[in-house]
Amino acid sequence: MTKWGMVIDLEKCTGCQACTTACAMENSRLPGEAWQDVLFYHEGRYPNVKVSWLPRPCMHCENPSCVAVCPTKATYKTEDGVVLVDWDKCIGCKYCMIACPYGVRFYMDEKPVVQPDLREVFPGDGDRIWNPPYRMPDHLADRKKGIGIQPKGVVSKCTFCYHKISKAPKGVADLDEDDPATREYTPACVRVCPPKARYFGDLDNPNSKVSQLIADKRGVRLKEETGNKPQVYYLAGGAAPVVPGERSQERG
Amino acid sequence: MATVTSLRPQFKASPYLIGAGILFIVTFIYAVYLKVTLGYAAFNTTNYGVFWGFPIVVYDYFLLTSVGLALVAAVPLALGVRALDPIAKRCVWLAIAALVGGVAILFMELAHPLRALWATPLNLQTASPLFWKILCVGAYTIVLVLTALALARGARPGEVPRPLAILLGLLALAIAAIAGSVYGMLVFRPFWYGGELPVVFIIESVMGGLAFVIFFTYVAYGMAPDTVPQGTRELLAGPLGVALAVAVLLHLLFTLARTVTGLWSYGEGMQVWQYTVSQPLYWLGLIGGGVVPLVVFATPTLRTQPWLQIVGGFLVAVGLLASRYEFLINGQLVPPFKGSWAPSLLEYAPSQFEWVLFFMGVFLANTIYAGLESWSSTRQE
Repeated sequence: MTKWGMVIDLEKCTGCQACTTACAMENSRLPGEAWQDVLFYHEGRYPNVKVSWLPRPCMHCENPSCVAVCPTKATYKTEDGVVLVDWDKCIGCKYCMIACPYGVRFYMDEKPVVQPDLREVFPGDGDRIWNPPYRMPDHLADRKKGIGIQPKGVVSKCTFCYHKISKAPKGVADLDEDDPATREYTPACVRVCPPKARYFGDLDNPNSKVSQLIADKRGVRLKEETGNKPQVYYLAGGAAPVVPGERSQERG
Repeated sequence: MATVTSLRPQFKASPYLIGAGILFIVTFIYAVYLKVTLGYAAFNTTNYGVFWGFPIVVYDYFLLTSVGLALVAAVPLALGVRALDPIAKRCVWLAIAALVGGVAILFMELAHPLRALWATPLNLQTASPLFWKILCVGAYTIVLVLTALALARGARPGEVPRPLAILLGLLALAIAAIAGSVYGMLVFRPFWYGGELPVVFIIESVMGGLAFVIFFTYVAYGMAPDTVPQGTRELLAGPLGVALAVAVLLHLLFTLARTVTGLWSYGEGMQVWQYTVSQPLYWLGLIGGGVVPLVVFATPTLRTQPWLQIVGGFLVAVGLLASRYEFLINGQLVPPFKGSWAPSLLEYAPSQFEWVLFFMGVFLANTIYAGLESWSSTRQE
């Protein structure tokens, strides 16, 4: 069975946010509430300042704590290894947001992050929280998988563009924007990455590009100590990707 | 020696019941108005990291107080300690009132409370502590109501079916422990993480239950200590007061141990302890809700003073709310995995709506309690 996963090469990533923008367009996200984000960090003091960044989608963990804590099984893991949210079962308790170590879940009913409040500019129809001009076509939306415009009172997250990858030819090892046969099934963030820092494929297939990259370039996962086992791997020249914490700066 | 007559409070509920009822209706209407007009933006929670706000604090506070009262009630009802008979019924009434107040706030906070009622039991997510908590609270509600009905029909505490009372105690114990596990299991939130939390929650539940029953016994007698039956007064000044002192002492020990260890810890996320001890709320909970009541209830000459009992019970109740707030909110102040654009510590203060919900819950609980006391007295008369 396919186990979809992603590899992000930090030595190639320029932090351009094309992935963030593509994700927002593809998945009808409100500005400021990006399922796929690039986190920027700065360390040190002038003149010795270092800026670093980390692209951060949902990690679609092998052993996801968000799935375990959801009291209604609204958050679940598919057979092909993707963590999704059934919006018809979600009660909005936000325990999954509390339990996600990577901060990748969103509750869109909060106070607006940016002004004007686009939910008022483009008011939603039915129970959709808004109605953006660049909305995903309705036939692609699936409430049972958390795909489409988010309804009110539920939690949402990156789906690995499940409306695309779930239609990929069976048994394919990689979804690559350079391959015409798989381009349309490739997640939006992977497809638009200008320096080609992202790779998407079957982690269980030893011949897939993602498996080879993880093996050859010593791919690492974030926060291994939590036991969540992300299916997103980072290539950082063999080192662990550094996410500087406030504490390390205080004590440094 | 407590007698059956001491089970009959001379409580005239009317002004209390009517006053609490009116205030509940006013706050409820205002809360609905704010929720309808502002939607979820009425809350001060954000996607940055403070996902659970003041309403969840108050819900947990009320729920834990309810199960604490049920645990105290289980001593005479299930264990047959007849000395505690005079307060058994009041504990059950208060447990119902606190439960209703807390659940009402939760229902106003949750986006889909009715969906929770069917989606939780039908999907059997046994890996989630919240699933077990919701399941146990449902069962606890039923058992509590059955216990209350048995008492309301005129049964003496010793006549309540013992299996029912044992089940009540076990469910209360389970809820307090699971409520602790909801936070204690989260390994990447070091402020919360720890196997001791279920035990801490059980102790704090009992502490809240004891404080509430002491305070509201005097409320039931119109804050006129002289009208409280001698047996009940001796109970409050004796076993219950000492038990509360022990519970407060254990609570203080756990709080201080967690604080000192937290301040010494280097891990990311533990810096919130420096912030915590810099807040007046922490000291209000520690000194006002811990040290002062401990002195009152641990000192034999002070413990027997009714007004000191009233003040001590009230301080414990308020201090526990303060402690619950700093525990739940401060545990979310270090943003999880955010970039430089997120502050090192998030800021949160309850919104106007969240305060309205708090008062709505308080007034609803008081209305329910006043109503039950009044009804109970009427029935017995």
